[in-house]
Amino acid sequence: MLTTARALGGEVVACVAGPASLAESMQALSFDRIIHWQVAEDLPAEVCAAEIAARAIREAPQAVLASDAASARVILGQAAAALKAAIVASVRSLARKDGRIIVSRATAEGKVLEDIAVPGAAAVIYDGDDMDAPAAVTAATETIPVTSGQMKVVETLAAAEGAGLLTALRVIGVGMGLGSKENLSAVEELATALNAAIACTLPVCNDMRWLADHNVVGSSHSQIAPDLYIAAGISGAPNHLSGVRDAKITVAVNNDPEARIFKFCDYGIVGDMHEIVPALTAALQ
Amino acid sequence: MKAAVVFKCTRNPVDAKVKLDGTVSWEGVKLAATDDDPAAMQIAKAIAGSDEIIAISIGDGDPAWAAARGAARTILVADAYAEAEASRTGALLAACVRRAPELEVVVLGDSSWDFALVSALIGQLGWPALAGVTAAEPAPEGLKVTRKVGNIRQVLTVAVPVVLAAAAGEEEKNPPGMRDILQARKKPLEKLKAADLDPALSAAETVGFRYPDTPSARLIDGKDPQAACVELLAALRADGAL
Repeated sequence: MLTTARALGGEVVACVAGPASLAESMQALSFDRIIHWQVAEDLPAEVCAAEIAARAIREAPQAVLASDAASARVILGQAAAALKAAIVASVRSLARKDGRIIVSRATAEGKVLEDIAVPGAAAVIYDGDDMDAPAAVTAATETIPVTSGQMKVVETLAAAEGAGLLTALRVIGVGMGLGSKENLSAVEELATALNAAIACTLPVCNDMRWLADHNVVGSSHSQIAPDLYIAAGISGAPNHLSGVRDAKITVAVNNDPEARIFKFCDYGIVGDMHEIVPALTAALQ
Repeated sequence: MKAAVVFKCTRNPVDAKVKLDGTVSWEGVKLAATDDDPAAMQIAKAIAGSDEIIAISIGDGDPAWAAARGAARTILVADAYAEAEASRTGALLAACVRRAPELEVVVLGDSSWDFALVSALIGQLGWPALAGVTAAEPAPEGLKVTRKVGNIRQVLTVAVPVVLAAAAGEEEKNPPGMRDILQARKKPLEKLKAADLDPALSAAETVGFRYPDTPSARLIDGKDPQAACVELLAALRADGAL
């Protein structure tokens, strides 16, 4: 996101709403300045939205970029309205041409990029690759304490189950192509051979009850970033893909060569998962 | 508590037609209810209790979707359509909300089909907001709201007015049948024109389409499963993934 912002030229300022540790992590990156709204522990980041929007008017940026995290999108909306900025989601890159910002966004399930020319400021929800941009020097940080707001966190419940999925280096995900719960045993054998955790799509949990809620990966459930993600019998619905897009290497196994997942993965085997999964286990052993 | 639910305001990405020249056509595609719209309706009902729910939508699709699920009346901007740049749609929806000044809560689906719509409505309305919401109920402070952040559930108290973007944790249970839909079509429907609400036209314009320059996936023929797996593992080992 930082690299994308740099493509427009000029100063790049990080607006951070959260604890001190979050601002410290931003200091490791090559921002020119950091403005840190240091919110009290019992407040959500969204309490800063109006204040960040007001600051955006003073700073008058050409573009505001946010991740698709829930808090970031709320704050972006307020900043966009304050700046009377165009607002676009699924954005992969920004460029400047003839005095306008060209916003490139993924459309048609990521098959195509749509270039949108914006004459004024642009507020975008970034959906591209993140690259390391380490800082040569630590950026100056302005800290603004936030101690009250119209919202308050009264309880935080960490899921007891499924925590291993979030930190697993290797994950095997299964979709409706699994066919039946009995076929899970072959996936479990592969997971053992690969030292991997098992994830699934939403219908595998909700409709079929083959796996539990804490196994679900997707925009409405867990987002994971393993080194290796193997998607077996998964078509590639947007909900699921947004939960695994930070995986370093994605492998898809699907018998439909036109399956959407093949547009998203690094490696794909076009074949029957019921043959490929046991063969992969055997090859690993 | 007075609540509105915003529904069927985005296009399903599956419906986009990519032409041979790489351009995208949405011709004939109606706006659709997202997977998160039923969750928005459920949350609106939990908040409203015995109060009526106002439904708000745009486009020329069947406006009875929310009425069939319990909304008392519907406001529809029939000549508006979802755009790639969402600020105008957000302004239209915000103008509809302002027509019902008694409203304290607006709920809409937090759909990845177009996250910009949620942000645009929040900004144009200027109310505090939370996204990723899975449940809400009235509380002395206003509302008690539950949302999911990664693998963590947060419970918050929030004052009203507020916008809640609802994320579905499961598919809709017991969707209305044809009889409910037919009865819903008899409920009050206020049809507006975009010009009546006077939001400025978006100055953004689509100037082109192109295929992503990301490298294609390396596809391996799985007709011979053993050979395919050997080839895959060699590639993964070369990448350092194993």
